[in-house]
Amino acid sequence: MRILIAEDEPVLASQLKKTLTSEGLTVDVAIDGAEAQYLGETEPYDVIILDLGLPIRDGLTVLKNLRSGGNDTSILILTARNDWTDRVDGLDAGADDYLTKPFHMAELSARVRALIRRKAGKATPVFSRNEVTYDTRTNQVMVDGVPTNLTSQEIAVLSYLFHNSGRLVSRTELSDHIYQHDGDRDSNTIAVFVNRLRKKLGSDLIETVRGRGYVIKATA
Amino acid sequence: MTSLRARAVTGGILWAVAIIVLGLAGLSSYLSSQTQARFIEVLETRHSQAVVAVSNNSEAASDLVRAIGDLVYQVPDSGQYWQVESAEGAIYASPSLGEERLPRPAGRSEERQRREIAGPNGEPVFAIGQWVTVPDGSTWHVQVASSLRSFEQEQVVLRNTLLTAFAFVSFASVLAALMQVAVVLRPLNQLRQDVSGRWEQEDGMEVGSYPIEVAPLVNDINTLMERNRDIMRRSRRQAADLAHAIKTPSAIMRNELDTLMGQGADVQEARDALDRLDAQLKRSFARMRADGTDATLAVATELDIALGRMQRAFAAIAGNEGKTFNAVYTEGLRVRMEQSDFEEVVGNLLDNAVKWAASEVRLEAGQTPDGQIMITITDDGPGIPKEELEKATQSGQRLDTSKPGTGLGLAIAHDLIHAYGGKIILSKDEALGGLAVHMRLPFASAKRAD
Repeated sequence: MRILIAEDEPVLASQLKKTLTSEGLTVDVAIDGAEAQYLGETEPYDVIILDLGLPIRDGLTVLKNLRSGGNDTSILILTARNDWTDRVDGLDAGADDYLTKPFHMAELSARVRALIRRKAGKATPVFSRNEVTYDTRTNQVMVDGVPTNLTSQEIAVLSYLFHNSGRLVSRTELSDHIYQHDGDRDSNTIAVFVNRLRKKLGSDLIETVRGRGYVIKATA
Repeated sequence: MTSLRARAVTGGILWAVAIIVLGLAGLSSYLSSQTQARFIEVLETRHSQAVVAVSNNSEAASDLVRAIGDLVYQVPDSGQYWQVESAEGAIYASPSLGEERLPRPAGRSEERQRREIAGPNGEPVFAIGQWVTVPDGSTWHVQVASSLRSFEQEQVVLRNTLLTAFAFVSFASVLAALMQVAVVLRPLNQLRQDVSGRWEQEDGMEVGSYPIEVAPLVNDINTLMERNRDIMRRSRRQAADLAHAIKTPSAIMRNELDTLMGQGADVQEARDALDRLDAQLKRSFARMRADGTDATLAVATELDIALGRMQRAFAAIAGNEGKTFNAVYTEGLRVRMEQSDFEEVVGNLLDNAVKWAASEVRLEAGQTPDGQIMITITDDGPGIPKEELEKATQSGQRLDTSKPGTGLGLAIAHDLIHAYGGKIILSKDEALGGLAVHMRLPFASAKRAD
């Protein structure tokens, strides 16, 4: 899952990035409104965390521009203003949720996870298919009730496929959603991660559609 | 003395009193001397008549009573007397003197001698006496006298008439002064009414509609009101900027503390302190906002717009938590509140309601028979126990710490509503079972012509 953090305060941005990365999410950071809009328009993010008080172009304008350009990525706005008017402006302009500063990091990650889940049309935070369960809150994966150790890349791939259950996901799309904007991308490594997941979680969880991609079948 | 009216009235009255006193003194002294001169003139004429009568009747002095035939001399004690005395000492007198006689001055002056003497029964009289030599060579002392009592009575009547006249004039002057003051001060009264009225309007007062003496003041007041609005706008913005500037560092500190806590450090006290700091800041900014609210400003919020925004926003927020939010309101309502303040109140209350609701939040807005706007927000959450309802709107009272928040929402809403002269009442909602927040807000009447 890829997240864009648009926040001009570098310390806060790096704290956010550290927390979300540690939860298995792939994070890009934009430090002004223009960059935030550019990345939002060009990269396939799952959630954008958008501070309203950005330099160059304010967050509300970025939000409106993204929405008017047809971008429907889940957007969580951050505001330091107490005013409800700011928050209502943001929600009215198409934001999906808001958080006011100062906030608890745990609350932010819970909101981000909820937004990702909602996009997937999932009401509960736990995915399960066959004997495998994946808890999005803890990134804990269990097979027949026994915890399994997965690397962060493996979890990223599994998480994306679970959140898109029932839909064929191409290797490119997968790499788009698990690698950073400026990171090294090699779609061959995706095949490696999928093979490792099959070994650890059983061969029938992730199906391969030759030459097109992967799918976790939706639970009936 | 600070009252212009009192100054003008007192000044007017003092002037009137001074003019009346001087006028009264001058006029009464003039009239009095005139009366005195006329009195003496009449007496001299009578003396001349007596001298003529003596000249014609020196042979038969006993005929003098007939010769000086004026009726006023016939009645006893009439106040008008004559007395003629021959050189030999024979005395002839008017019947009005009766048995009494007037004293004769010493010497034999042929000049008229005027003096005040005691007349019959000790009554003071003014007498003119003169020794005359008639054509037959005999000499006579001819004396006429007039009682001063009538003269004094005349003086009293004159003085009373004057006093009455001046009292009337004084009364009229005071009335005129009062009327003049009222007329002169009318533009100032108008100005006062206009100023209290114009606080409610964005546009200033029409300078041209005031007298030229007052117009510069009106101009200054316009400038002052504009400056005042400016200062209020600026301080609000500055308070918001300050809040903005403090919150990001606070968020950073909070995250650092969370990280340290994750590493096993004991940072609970620091976290609590930071929580208190944030709550205090939030509370102070809310207070600043409520205090900076000028409820007399003619602001108005169209509920169709504001509640429409809230409905869309909170439908999304409630949806995020799997809850529903519905707003039902009469169209065309307007409240006398700034839109941002209105949204602050409703935002805080709806946020609370969504947080605590089990599945449903409702908002209803309408107009009461007495013209006020009634807004009710209800939820199906646990509500607030009856005994805690009062406490709930007080500063930062968190009744339940199991959910995130500062416990300020209700207090902020309470302060802002009060700043606009509205009311907020909490109760248990019978339909949904949770908390019901009733707000009574002032209605904004006419649409501004802009």
